[in-house]
Amino acid sequence: MATHTANPFSEGFTLELSGPLVGYWLGLLRVVTGWWFFHAGVTKLIEDGLNYAYGPVFLKGMAGTSLGPVATFLGTDLAWLVKPGVPLFETLIGLGLLLGVLTRLAAVGGAFFMTLFWVGNADFAHGVVNSDLMGLLLFGTMIVFAAGRYFGLDAYIEATDFVKQRPRLRYVLG
Amino acid sequence: MRHTFDGVDKLVIGLGGALVLVGIVVLGIVEVLDGPPYGAAPLTNDAGDVVATTLVDPNVRTALVVLGIVVLLLWGVYRMAQPTVEPGETREEAWA
Repeated sequence: MATHTANPFSEGFTLELSGPLVGYWLGLLRVVTGWWFFHAGVTKLIEDGLNYAYGPVFLKGMAGTSLGPVATFLGTDLAWLVKPGVPLFETLIGLGLLLGVLTRLAAVGGAFFMTLFWVGNADFAHGVVNSDLMGLLLFGTMIVFAAGRYFGLDAYIEATDFVKQRPRLRYVLG
Repeated sequence: MRHTFDGVDKLVIGLGGALVLVGIVVLGIVEVLDGPPYGAAPLTNDAGDVVATTLVDPNVRTALVVLGIVVLLLWGVYRMAQPTVEPGETREEAWA
């Protein structure tokens, strides 16, 4: 191996994004993240069915936050949608990530949820960088790196003629 | 620097990943199917008394995940300790 005298670390610390380790790690992250949301959603479905009453209460409690007007609108005028939507969409987002189906679309949904959790949950006692923000960034990572292509079904779906003829579908797959 | 994985590499990172996924996902599914509590903590009433416990001790689940991470860490050290394998050269030749 040739050694670069000016920067001896230049080769030893190379990160190859096409390397097998990246796919392995993205696949692992996707499944764990998917389980996180699937568990949150499916246990709400078991306990409350499609009537998760805390959803609108949580949103209305965000009145004084940066997303106050949006959150209170959702919690008040769209409460009929939020009650079934929270458990249902959490479950579907989790399922999408677990299986790697419509991964990017699912991750966008997850990012939407995490944005509300981040702004609504936290008192930011330890700063604005907290576990909710990390969850939000995790969904961003799923989108950027198309995590469904690694050990996920999106890899096979994207190989179908239907998707090949409609390449823009890869914005929601992958 | 070698960027491909051989059978040993795949076996070890497969084991590490499997331990992580068993601790988090597989035993999580078991907990949900077992009924309340669905999380990893005991269920308590308003008085603070434990009314239901988890099927699998959360310490077992965290131990599996930590073990998986340790396996991956040790694999990283193993990879770091390996000599450089040039193109066209076998690993045995590189070690020699």
